[in-house]
Amino acid sequence: MIRTVIVDDEPLAREVLREYLAGDEEFEIVAECANGFEAVQAVTAHDPDVLFLDIQMPKLDGFEVLSLLDRAPVVIFVTAHDEYALRAFDVHALDYLLKPFSEDRFRSVLQRVRKQVAGERTAPVSLAASLRSRPLQRLVVRSEDGTIDVVAVARIDYLEADDDRILIVTGGRKLPKQQTIGDAAAELDPDRFVRIHRSYLLHIDRIERIELYAKDSRVAILRDGTRLPVSRAGYARLKQLL
Amino acid sequence: MNDRTRLGLTGGLAIASAALISSWFLLVRQGMDPVVAFGAAIPPSLLFGFIGLAARYPCRATPLRTSSATRVLGTHVGAAVVASGVWLLSWNLWLSRVTGSAIHDLPLMLATGALLYGVTVVVHYLTLELEASRHAEEAALRYQVLMREAELRAFKAQVDPHFLFNSLNAVASLCGSRPQDAREMAQLMADFFRQTLRVGSLDRIPLAQEIDLVSRYLAIEKVRFGARLAVSIHVDAAAADTMVPPLLLQPLIENAVRHGIASMVEGGTIELSAVRNDGLLKIRIENPADPDRARARGESIGLENARGRLSAISEGRAVFRTKESDGRFTVEIEVPA
Repeated sequence: MIRTVIVDDEPLAREVLREYLAGDEEFEIVAECANGFEAVQAVTAHDPDVLFLDIQMPKLDGFEVLSLLDRAPVVIFVTAHDEYALRAFDVHALDYLLKPFSEDRFRSVLQRVRKQVAGERTAPVSLAASLRSRPLQRLVVRSEDGTIDVVAVARIDYLEADDDRILIVTGGRKLPKQQTIGDAAAELDPDRFVRIHRSYLLHIDRIERIELYAKDSRVAILRDGTRLPVSRAGYARLKQLL
Repeated sequence: MNDRTRLGLTGGLAIASAALISSWFLLVRQGMDPVVAFGAAIPPSLLFGFIGLAARYPCRATPLRTSSATRVLGTHVGAAVVASGVWLLSWNLWLSRVTGSAIHDLPLMLATGALLYGVTVVVHYLTLELEASRHAEEAALRYQVLMREAELRAFKAQVDPHFLFNSLNAVASLCGSRPQDAREMAQLMADFFRQTLRVGSLDRIPLAQEIDLVSRYLAIEKVRFGARLAVSIHVDAAAADTMVPPLLLQPLIENAVRHGIASMVEGGTIELSAVRNDGLLKIRIENPADPDRARARGESIGLENARGRLSAISEGRAVFRTKESDGRFTVEIEVPA
């Protein structure tokens, strides 16, 4: 059996997938999800072979769902937007279905899924990352207990490096995410986020003032009173931006 | 018949009638030999043909629709005397050179020349009128095409492909399990699109009609979103009769669905209210929206379009406010009415 998860926020869109899948005995639907949260939970819980994934959904979009999965199944995008689909195709997502799609088209996709499932699985995270538009508008974080946080970029105060992960600091909360600070900086808007220090990526809107702390060493004071060190290179970058 | 052939015919007619009249005159009144008479009449008649053609210019300079009668009359009487005089002068010169004789009855011939000129003027006015009416027809046709293009452009801007394809997907889905509902959905879509096309070409429609269009749109979205989309509409009677530009609210409601309801896992209610008192129409649209949603470019464009359009048609007297706080998005419109 090929274990399948269907993700779409529209009931009728799930219904047509369910109907078409019912015509193929080899596929078994293990979960149906109406949003990105449910999708991440379902994939984590069921470890399915294949994921039919809508892109535009509340809370988490399809790309964000993939970015949160440790180990992704074969992914088929199901979308009404062909610009997404074409991008997905560019980075070898297995396939995409443009809504509305014919049953013939669906069968040919199932055929490809069968072949793919029999072979190796592709790593999903790099694929998802390359699909997301940049700069990111929000960060998604999955904690160890499985809860998912979505943080709009405008609400981030700063990012702090912490060993092999980063802490996303927002309104006094610190959310850990498995990522290097360099990679995070590359995904965020360079006009808004400055690497003021090896370990700190600061949202420039949060800066109250910069003070000289010692010779060649400065400190950034944020609106909420937080003090962050500013390296010499960091100060140069900051000056350039301001 | 194109302009050039018509002009050629006018010239030909002038030459032929001048030649006919002048040779008949020489033949009958002055008893010349037919061949000589004809030979003596042809060259000045050719000249008269050109004069006849040139009469087009004074005709164009004094169009019948816009010029006063004295101006028209003055222009053409003067031109007739000159034309006839030139014709007779050249004819007389030619006649004396060929036959050694002169024209006997100059005043009669002068009157005849003037009359001939008058006939060509009438023909010119007729062809000019014909051309003008044809141009007017063309212009009207071109205007219609432009209008239709503008309508289609408005319609294209209006109809979000995302909405169209997702709705079609819902129809395709219903076909399998509930064909009756699929038909109903197809009907809803057809009604909505037809209505959009129809009101798009109008200048102003009663608010009640715009609300009707919005309701049709929401009926389609309800099929797609199911229980996630609820709607509450309150319009008082005075507001319902107020004339508004078409498709004023529909794009705003579309925004409320696409960026509001669609961003909420549990969905929510779109509240639309309109009241009119003290000469002011107040419209308010409120919906829940996830503050952390990914902001699509189209979201602000839709709002800016609505703002710009409202300001253009009300000459800046309308108020257009948007507010987002505590997960609620509100649009408020105030128009003098």
